[in-house]
Amino acid sequence: MSIAAIIVMIVCIVALWGVASVALVYSLGQEERKLQLIKKQGSFEPYSPQALRDLNRWIEQNNTSEHAQEMRNVHEEQRAALQKCTSYFYTWNRSDIESLKEI
Amino acid sequence: MTTTISREKWGSRFGYLMATIGAMVGAGNIWRLPYVTGENGGGAFLIAYFVLLYLIAVPGLMGETSLGRYTRQGLLGTFRKVYGNNKFVGLGLVILIFNIVLMSYYSSIVGWSIYYAYHAVIGSFTQTQFDTAALWQAFSSNTALSVGMHTVAMLTVTGILLMGIKGGIERMAKWMMPILTVSLIAIAIRGVTLPGAMAGLEFAFSPNWEYLARGETWLAALGQALFSTGLGWGIALTYGSYLGRNDDIPLGGGVFTAIGNTSFGLLAIFAVFPIVFAFGISPTSGAELAFVALASAFGNMTGGYVWALLFFIGFFFANMTTAIAITEVGVTTYKEERDTSRSKAVLTICGIIWLLGIPSAMNSSILGYLDFVVGNWGLPLATLIIMFTIGWKFDANRLRILSLNRGADLYVPKFWESIIRFEIPTIMLFIMAYFLYSNLTATPWKTVSGLAILTLTVPLCMWIMSRRQASAHPATNVGGQSS
Repeated sequence: MSIAAIIVMIVCIVALWGVASVALVYSLGQEERKLQLIKKQGSFEPYSPQALRDLNRWIEQNNTSEHAQEMRNVHEEQRAALQKCTSYFYTWNRSDIESLKEI
Repeated sequence: MTTTISREKWGSRFGYLMATIGAMVGAGNIWRLPYVTGENGGGAFLIAYFVLLYLIAVPGLMGETSLGRYTRQGLLGTFRKVYGNNKFVGLGLVILIFNIVLMSYYSSIVGWSIYYAYHAVIGSFTQTQFDTAALWQAFSSNTALSVGMHTVAMLTVTGILLMGIKGGIERMAKWMMPILTVSLIAIAIRGVTLPGAMAGLEFAFSPNWEYLARGETWLAALGQALFSTGLGWGIALTYGSYLGRNDDIPLGGGVFTAIGNTSFGLLAIFAVFPIVFAFGISPTSGAELAFVALASAFGNMTGGYVWALLFFIGFFFANMTTAIAITEVGVTTYKEERDTSRSKAVLTICGIIWLLGIPSAMNSSILGYLDFVVGNWGLPLATLIIMFTIGWKFDANRLRILSLNRGADLYVPKFWESIIRFEIPTIMLFIMAYFLYSNLTATPWKTVSGLAILTLTVPLCMWIMSRRQASAHPATNVGGQSS
């Protein structure tokens, strides 16, 4: 086999099998973590800090939208989970959690 | 809050991932990808393919799965929730019809793989002077046998679907996909150790960089990236509807599904081409590759019985998990729309598919025609409809915030929205226009008739659903709000 073909083959193996294997193992591990949190405290926060920032921004920008109430409900669900739970699925700063207000 | 109906859920994360990847890995990964790769510049094609896979298939699958998880309903229920109680629910019916038509002829392919798995079990390919070309010729010209195998295929699909999402689809996928993986790995190891096998890998991986500048290479890569991942057919949406509210989608339903699906294609390259080249067989694709060339090569290998058995059982599993997924789209939708039991829905949908599949089983020209129409325009149109629905009607921004990033193992940033809104729909329109342009002179009758059928299907479905909506669903939910 030519050197070029060998390089392409190795790149393919890493880009496909490597990525797929890592994704599978990581995903199974993360879902296991979620299960442990549910067993321990009944629930966990559904959104990451970045995702929560997106949610807040949406509510700010679309306050009168027909979908605003649904978004506010989701925000409230997240806020309640962060206040109720002692262990979190995502990584949070204490100050981020304390500064969360009801919308 | 989103109003949802009580429904079954996947039993485990592993089960969902295996079922989803099983849905996407089908005959195309094994008998098409290796050849398309070799014919389109080897490594250069793979690079084009990876780019498109990450740019289109991964984001598209994330969107489709998250819409299903949000609505927690089948195709028509999802469209009703997004569009409201009107004729546009008919767009969901269009996708459903394409799925049923697709399954009507895919069932014949499953039947072929069952027939060859049977021959592998009884050791036909290792008999002295066994002629695989004659076997394929005899099988494909025997109408009764073809219809019989189509029937066996549909009976098997029916049996599995009757056991439900968790007890049927998930349980089967949890066994079938690992067995398929091990089978292909074993064949690949045997294949690359054959004398002359490296020429096969050279054919597949040797990069001809000038191919990257050719439009045909990118089109072939685009076709493979879209069709082999099943994006926009309603499968990801249906399977996503059985996910829990806090299950991850971006990593499992997007990255793993698309990349894992292609990983099977790569495994097939290792399993198929070394053997093909080692035995001096001309590289090809489709039924001829699997049922004539490879079957013959297995017969000439030491321990050929085992290799043929592994290959054809694995090939059958790949086809079966895909067939189950395509059929489940109709089953889930019918069950919800008719508010009936799962058993009734399975028997009805499988019965319809079996009846519709008889002409394709009897005549390969009909199978070819349906594949031409559905593949060239039906599935791109289905993908266009789903992406338009997610991107513009539902609002990609809202879906990303509400559903896609909920419980996500991987944060999906804002640029995902422009892929769903602009990139994928534009590409779909381009593909349909290109297929029209390239086929119009070569096969004018097939092209015009196929387009005419499609053109009529959309307004007809919208008309049917507008009539049905008025009587059956006096009130509905739009994006979770009552209307």
